[in-house]
Amino acid sequence: MTVLLENVLDRAPLGVMVRIARIDWDAMSEDEGRRLREFGLMEGCEVTPLHRGSIFSRDPLALTVGRMKVIIRARQAAAITVEPAA
Amino acid sequence: MTGAIPSIALVGNPNAGKSSLFNALTGARQKIANYPGVTVERKTGHASFADGRPISLIDLPGTYSMTPASLDEAVTRDVVLGKLDGEKRPDALIVVLDAANLDNHLCFALELLALGLPTVVALNMLDLAARDGLTLDAERLSKELGVPVVPTVAVRKRGLSELLVAVDGAIESHQPRATVAAPANDASLRQRAHAIANAATVDETPVRRWTQRVDNVVLHPVGGLIILVALMFVMFQAVFSWATPFADALEGAIGVIQTWVVGTFPDNFLRGLVVEGLLAGVGAVVVFLPPILFLFFFILLLEASGYMTRAAFLMDGLMGKVGLSGRGFIPLLSSFACAVPGIMATRSIPDEKDRLTTILIAPLMTCSARLPVYTLIIGAFIPATNVGGSPVGLQGLVLFGLFISGIVGALLVALVLRRSVTKGNAAGFMMEMPRYQWPRWNDIVIALWQRAWIFLRRAGTIIAATTVILWLLLTFPQAPAGQSQVEYSVGGRIASGLEVVVAPIGFNHDIALALIPAMAAREVAVSAMATANAIDAGDDEDAMAEALGDRIAGRWSIATALAFLAWFVFAPQCISTIAITRRETNGWKWPLFMVGYLFALAYAAAGITYWTAVAFGLG
Repeated sequence: MTVLLENVLDRAPLGVMVRIARIDWDAMSEDEGRRLREFGLMEGCEVTPLHRGSIFSRDPLALTVGRMKVIIRARQAAAITVEPAA
Repeated sequence: MTGAIPSIALVGNPNAGKSSLFNALTGARQKIANYPGVTVERKTGHASFADGRPISLIDLPGTYSMTPASLDEAVTRDVVLGKLDGEKRPDALIVVLDAANLDNHLCFALELLALGLPTVVALNMLDLAARDGLTLDAERLSKELGVPVVPTVAVRKRGLSELLVAVDGAIESHQPRATVAAPANDASLRQRAHAIANAATVDETPVRRWTQRVDNVVLHPVGGLIILVALMFVMFQAVFSWATPFADALEGAIGVIQTWVVGTFPDNFLRGLVVEGLLAGVGAVVVFLPPILFLFFFILLLEASGYMTRAAFLMDGLMGKVGLSGRGFIPLLSSFACAVPGIMATRSIPDEKDRLTTILIAPLMTCSARLPVYTLIIGAFIPATNVGGSPVGLQGLVLFGLFISGIVGALLVALVLRRSVTKGNAAGFMMEMPRYQWPRWNDIVIALWQRAWIFLRRAGTIIAATTVILWLLLTFPQAPAGQSQVEYSVGGRIASGLEVVVAPIGFNHDIALALIPAMAAREVAVSAMATANAIDAGDDEDAMAEALGDRIAGRWSIATALAFLAWFVFAPQCISTIAITRRETNGWKWPLFMVGYLFALAYAAAGITYWTAVAFGLG
């Protein structure tokens, strides 16, 4: 694990807006990648992670992107590198 | 275009308010069928232009782009491209946009505009956008897109006539547009959509959103789950208690008709068929229309308010543990009403193995067809008392327990299947969370009416036919005096053969007799027993008046009754479910597998229940 864990969306604190710096498209299937883009999740956009999982599991993650609220799995969130929003 | 009725397709992203707009435009003049060759629901309806010329509207499944991720999305693409066999390409499109989510919805709109069909944009849910502090300029948007843009609020029927005028105009004045190619890749498409959305946005004031505060409670890792379980519990209690007066009234009405027929017509073959066969059999099933409608009402309410996706979020963790995803929760919850629409709803699950597993466990959800069986047995054997002085009824609690058994069974089966026959990668779960909305009564009434109609049509066809056949089998040959007609008849002898197989798990002759016709549909078990009861009672008025519940309460042991309940938690006794599984999985392999494993489970569960109950002295 050479990735800096605290820099991925999966580890980002809830309720704080972050900017997507990089998405590792190879870590997910083509369909998953396309659906992410259809949700508007792309490099440069700002997102706020809001809810994470339940007592059963850390999965899934709900976040806002623009005026939309979307749900993704932790596996995809782990492929998204984020940086503090300006 | 003279003569042909123009067909107009409503198309747009999920959660754009497409179906509400469709309902507002067509009212109850709708037809639900399937697209040829696929089981995606095809919703069409009729409306007319201001001068009375008829038009036909079609509501296409919501999708994000022209590149489909699932079966229903593929239908949308194929229809608008005119590539779906047996389906005419629409003459015009109404592209429905959520006014509060322009950035996102414009991407798909741009792709649709590039098709060059006559197109009008409905800028929908303007009221919700205003609630979020957005002011939009429809004219500017129209100028940017090059097609008419009509602001609509489907719920309040605002903008509907303007929309139809614009569609009429678009078809009349349509010149094959120099088709502007949609931007070639995702990024430039997004940029273009973003630029247009910005241009059309006049004002954007951030508003404190109460919906976020609701979500903080509803999606709480612990509290949210407690709310979900409480909601489900209230729902099932309500289905049982609120619907009872309505069911009693229906039962009374059927009794009045039976008495009237007996008193009016001479005693002959036909009167027997009508009173003992049709009225006793079909009537026993029709009285369950009220609880079924209450259940659908709750499910539609959860769906329309936007809560259902929150429930999917909460359940995803648990479902992920057994190799499914939160997306499967929605088809599975629909399966509580009926597995057939539930299995059809799995088409929105993108992962093939995930979808197959969800189909295979859908029949374990306690569908409404089991309610007749459960309510009959619970009513006959479980006392109508409250648990320890609390307001919780014991009968409702037992019903809740049966629902839970189905769910736990389904999760365990999924766990096993995902490690064996449907092994594959962990399923994904990506979904948009719709905003909360006040459910529209109009939409719910239309949907409820459609469910009621489907149920009554089933009662009128499959159930009526099997009941009549059963009546014939039970009536002939005539038993000599002193012998039970039901035992002596052809049907009774077949049942005696089956009784040998099911006797070890505590099933008696009544049950063996009911199980065979119940292959057609579970609730037929009840109508079959009602028919057998009516024939056995013959002209004995006291026996005739004795309700079916009281009669079996006197004839069965508690252990047998409990085993019978356990059997129906698992048994795949529904022709429609088997047929829809065959269609959805393109072959006989999976439906046969499903029937096999469910019967095995049903036999084991009934057996274990019976032997345990007998061990506790309830035999």
